[in-house]
Amino acid sequence: MDTMTIIIESIIIGTLVGFGVGAGAARMFHAPNVQGMGAFRTFGELNACEGDPISHFSFGLGFLFNSWASVVGAGAFTQDVEHRIIPNWAAAALLSRNPKVEETLHDPKKMAFAGAVIGMVVVTVMNSTAVAIPASLQVIATKVLVPAANWLINPVMPIVFWMAAIDAGQRSGTWATVLGGLSQLVMGNAVPGIVLGILIGKGVDDSGWNHITKTLVVAVVLLFVLSGFFRGFDAKLLNEFHIGVPAGLIEFHKIFGSVVK
Amino acid sequence: MENQEKQAELTGFWYSEWAFVIFVAMLSAGIFAGTHMYYVYHIGAFNDIAIVAMLEGGIKTGAYGAAAAFGASFLFARILEGPLVGILDIGGSLQTGIGIGVPAMLLGMGVTAPLTSFPLALAIGGLFGVLIGTIIVLIRKYTISGNSSTFGADVMMGAGNASGRYLGPLIIISAAMASIPVGLGAVIGAALFYVWQKPIAGGAILGAMLLGAFFPILTK
Repeated sequence: MDTMTIIIESIIIGTLVGFGVGAGAARMFHAPNVQGMGAFRTFGELNACEGDPISHFSFGLGFLFNSWASVVGAGAFTQDVEHRIIPNWAAAALLSRNPKVEETLHDPKKMAFAGAVIGMVVVTVMNSTAVAIPASLQVIATKVLVPAANWLINPVMPIVFWMAAIDAGQRSGTWATVLGGLSQLVMGNAVPGIVLGILIGKGVDDSGWNHITKTLVVAVVLLFVLSGFFRGFDAKLLNEFHIGVPAGLIEFHKIFGSVVK
Repeated sequence: MENQEKQAELTGFWYSEWAFVIFVAMLSAGIFAGTHMYYVYHIGAFNDIAIVAMLEGGIKTGAYGAAAAFGASFLFARILEGPLVGILDIGGSLQTGIGIGVPAMLLGMGVTAPLTSFPLALAIGGLFGVLIGTIIVLIRKYTISGNSSTFGADVMMGAGNASGRYLGPLIIISAAMASIPVGLGAVIGAALFYVWQKPIAGGAILGAMLLGAFFPILTK
């Protein structure tokens, strides 16, 4: 009885998730003009496979066994199902029929439906398996792919984005350098800061300091202040400059449920 | 001609702001329902083991503070970041925020119905998705959109394309550090893919997996 319920619920969940992930991933290729959804690493990895179906498929496959073992063993899919397996396999499915990325991987409609089918199958199969997954293949993901992907996220992607920002003109280079460095400190990765720097620099280059670019700067400051606070960056900063953290600040963090030293 | 076609394409439903709200709602519904499955059947949570463990800790001890604070702060930061950079990070915002933070908050308040009932889980997840999507679209309205500037989209796309090329060599380096058979497999696979004019990342992974299956990496 339970098995049937699990299968039916998995089909619905997988379809919904796959549809959203597929559409969001395709829209990433049109950012920032169109709001995308996914992750910078997903974007970089999708680009790495250069629209070759076999590469997209094998990249997804590499992470499949680890996710599979994780859900069978601990009930947790790992984030890779949505970040890597669904988008790459949806891309592989579409590209095997039409090798033009503009008409496949970059098309939200096609990616949404391909993602829905892949999501449905992957989530259902993974949730209803009770057999052990070969450990040797699972280890490939944790020992080979995860370190490589981590290097890509940090420091390769920050550096490539940074160089692009610096080459794009002095204004975006300056903003990207400052915000990128701060973003590495506060958020743990420089890419969001560099992208914001390019956004502000190029925005001002194109249209000057109008209310939109000013709003953008205010929003960016707000983002850094709030991210810093929620990640306990304020307390860490005071500690590392050898200034004590006032009791009031610790209490203030407690209101939001976070514990700082 | 081609340019015109592209313009028309980018203005259709699939590229519209409100379609984004729908996509977020569907994804959120699925992720929240995934947490429902974890709560009831102990499978299917869309997150890493370490993060799911925080929720599990709450379920076992009744202290949901850690999971709720962790999820909520990620959700908050990503909602603000998403519209500004143009990519909403689903790992932080939806998988951790909606999948772990919101359930932890609800359970902390003693509300279990959305986690025990599948339809209710879909509805609550979808509702939060609509909320998040709307906030993001509104932030965009007051910052990015409605402006003639492309805000350096070409620069970012160029960087995105360029950074992807690094993955292939990185996988070979990583494989070579893992074990000799796996490293050799990655090298051979990558070289073959290069000769066949395919991205070397794919060949490196297949080669590493093939040899890794026959000669497992020694783990101690």
